[in-house]
Amino acid sequence: MSTLWILYRQRLRRDRLQLAVWVLSIGVLGLFSVSAIAKTFGDEASRAQVLQLATATPAILVLRGLARGPALDSFTFFEIYAFLALLAGLMNTFMAVRHTRAEEESGRAELVAATGAGRWSPLAATVLHGLVADALVSVAVALGFIAGGLDPAGSFVAGLATGAAGFAFLGVGLLAGQFFSTSRAANGIAAALVMLAYLLRGYGDATGTVSADGMTVTAAWPSWLSPTGWGQQTFAYTGNRLWPLLLPVGLAAACIGVVVLIMARRDVGASVLAGRAGRPDARASLRGTFALAFRLQQGTIVGWCLGGLATGLITGSLGSAIQSTLSSNASITDALRAMVEAQGTSMTQLLVAALFEIAGVLAAACGVQAVLRMRQEEAAGTAEFVLSEPVGRARWLGSFVGLGAISVVLVMGFTALGAWVSLVASGDTSTAVGDVWQTALAQLPAALIYLALPAAVFVVWPRATIPAGWALLGLGVVLGIYGGMLGFDEKIRDISPFTHTPVVTSTGTDWSGGFWMLAVAAVLALVSLALMRRREIGTA
Amino acid sequence: MDAVIKTTDLHKSFGHVKALDGLDLEVREGEIHGFLGPNGAGKSTTLRILLGLARASSGSASLLGRDPWTDAVELHRRIASVPGDVSIWPNLSGGEAIDLVSRLRGGSDDAAYRERKRHLCELFDFDPTKKGRAYSKGNRQKVALIAALVTPAEVYLLDEPTSGLDPLMESVFTREIRRLARENGVTVLLSSHILSEVEQLADRVSIIRSGRIVDGGTLDSLRHLTRTEISFWQDSVDPTSLNALSQVHDLTVAEGRIKFSADSDRVHEVLPLLGSLGVKGLLVTPPSLEELFLRHYGDHVTPAAPEPADDGAPHRRRHRSAARTGA
Repeated sequence: MSTLWILYRQRLRRDRLQLAVWVLSIGVLGLFSVSAIAKTFGDEASRAQVLQLATATPAILVLRGLARGPALDSFTFFEIYAFLALLAGLMNTFMAVRHTRAEEESGRAELVAATGAGRWSPLAATVLHGLVADALVSVAVALGFIAGGLDPAGSFVAGLATGAAGFAFLGVGLLAGQFFSTSRAANGIAAALVMLAYLLRGYGDATGTVSADGMTVTAAWPSWLSPTGWGQQTFAYTGNRLWPLLLPVGLAAACIGVVVLIMARRDVGASVLAGRAGRPDARASLRGTFALAFRLQQGTIVGWCLGGLATGLITGSLGSAIQSTLSSNASITDALRAMVEAQGTSMTQLLVAALFEIAGVLAAACGVQAVLRMRQEEAAGTAEFVLSEPVGRARWLGSFVGLGAISVVLVMGFTALGAWVSLVASGDTSTAVGDVWQTALAQLPAALIYLALPAAVFVVWPRATIPAGWALLGLGVVLGIYGGMLGFDEKIRDISPFTHTPVVTSTGTDWSGGFWMLAVAAVLALVSLALMRRREIGTA
Repeated sequence: MDAVIKTTDLHKSFGHVKALDGLDLEVREGEIHGFLGPNGAGKSTTLRILLGLARASSGSASLLGRDPWTDAVELHRRIASVPGDVSIWPNLSGGEAIDLVSRLRGGSDDAAYRERKRHLCELFDFDPTKKGRAYSKGNRQKVALIAALVTPAEVYLLDEPTSGLDPLMESVFTREIRRLARENGVTVLLSSHILSEVEQLADRVSIIRSGRIVDGGTLDSLRHLTRTEISFWQDSVDPTSLNALSQVHDLTVAEGRIKFSADSDRVHEVLPLLGSLGVKGLLVTPPSLEELFLRHYGDHVTPAAPEPADDGAPHRRRHRSAARTGA
């Protein structure tokens, strides 16, 4: 018991800043969204209109949630909950891996396990740490919504729904840590599962049954496979049901149970999926810095490409789902079709544009990781090993940035392929099918900015590379994709590269934003290369 | 004999910390040069500057007559190095890492290379099939050593190359470096904080402390600076006769043992008397680097006694005077 307390305090101490940032951001995001919605859609009539449009447009439902009426509080829950749960999920998986697999990988776990703490106290301390963190998230979300003027009881239900979904992912993260021998792999797979949960819920909501007035949606079964979907089933503000939260808590308990079973049988530092023995000699292809960069990043690239492919397939299969929705609800469809066509866009194009925006973020994240790898190489000292050989610093940087550019193109390529295949398979013959390639192409410039920007940070301020890389991407997503919903001014939103992504329509596409961003990315990359020649290599 | 490595008044600061404070180092062609100093003295910083990984704040450094910062890539084709803190890729096997580094240096994959690699793996008792993350510190060190030794080079920059190796492997390393020096006439700069390791290999030595060279020269010229500790069981031995010898210093009796120190180059002159006294449990401890520092430099780097002029003397004298005013 005493070792549990010591280890818990150690975790809290180590995470105090990180945890505070996560919890506050999630709470403040809740508050912001209430005030933005209250400002933009002040009266119930306008919210009802928006909701009608949304329930008839599955593309919107994928990125929002489960519609439960036009009141300000339930409308806010519909708009923001899935995103809050996504953030809570990521917070928990990173936390779980950081205190288990990463510790084993570094050898620190061995140091602790050799004391009176043994094997179980560290696990128990991590679970306790997660429970407390999720309680804080619940309170932060509830207070954020209450501060925005929403009903207190419903706000606490919404908070608990966020915290409970987060806790489910703590279990998922712990389980992932048992399977992989590296924290990198465990983090990757756990974060992918969080994304999958978000997308499953989106799929379920988009294919759900819309009520006759278009104000509420009953989710289809895929939503019931996702902890994020379970949180939505609380019907916060309209139903205030707590029993669906037994599902995420049960999932966490089941995961932790399996973790205990596995840990009772394995050595400290071992994993279920054991690392294979290596080759005594390198393949002939492992020659030069680009080959090395590829070798180091190949797992990550494959992972992001699969993510892109999945996003594409979901986009395409939603296309066919839309067709059935449109035909079953004729009155809304006519009005909607008129609206959409006035913008010169087809329904499928609207959907592709919305989902490819997400895929663009995936591609950017993949590019960011290639640059971050460079910093990891430097911090670990392997960069010094390479640069003591006849390898120019600029060439070394160029290899990683070049690989990042290729992986960005690959991720978007797989996304477009997935969408194209499933649209063709669903029998769609409109021009929208061919447009997926153009829409994918349109996402590239913004993603390339996220390659060049961290590269410049890496050259100028190496120590800031990793936090800056993710923070810049996060900022771009919040401002560019959720900025309108959060009520940011257009001038502020325009800081984000994602707002300048060309929109592909059937009446013609304005590519100028894309060319500007390409130019910015190219200039940043060239400046980085030039400055790299003058930069020292170090571990500091 | 030309200087392969030459630094003049080399300075390097990290913020307020002066890592190098006017370092003058000269390594001649074909010699094994020991670079001795305690941790944090600036050995690794010097080697990193010579590798073009760090840039000098002021002063000049040249390697094979060229600037290591601007001509890094060309120079690295002729250099092999072992970094001070070896880390390898967790997901590459040791064999892959060795091959990769060798290919980066432009080495070919021919049968001769594979034979050399196999031979070195065998000599160092190294299993190249494990993934990087599975290697112990000693085995990671072996990856760097094998990678440095497997492809021919003119100059070897080795930063504490035997750290983490067991004594058996240390001797393998010593043998390989001797063989390279003998057969290929290579130049080696070997940094270490262990005097005995350098003693075995080096032709000449430079001693660095707080970022500057405080002493240097051939090992023989340094040996007189050090004293060897000698002790034996007290029993019924009367130490007064020992005390009378001029070679004997600081004689003490404690815990049943008689202890004294003798000038290292004159130990043999004391031995006959010890023999006639019939001492038991004789222990002769060679001087350690730490002792050398404590005894001859203290905290202030005071000048040592004058010595017969040898090839290392001029630059040594210059350093002492610089040290006296600077420290």
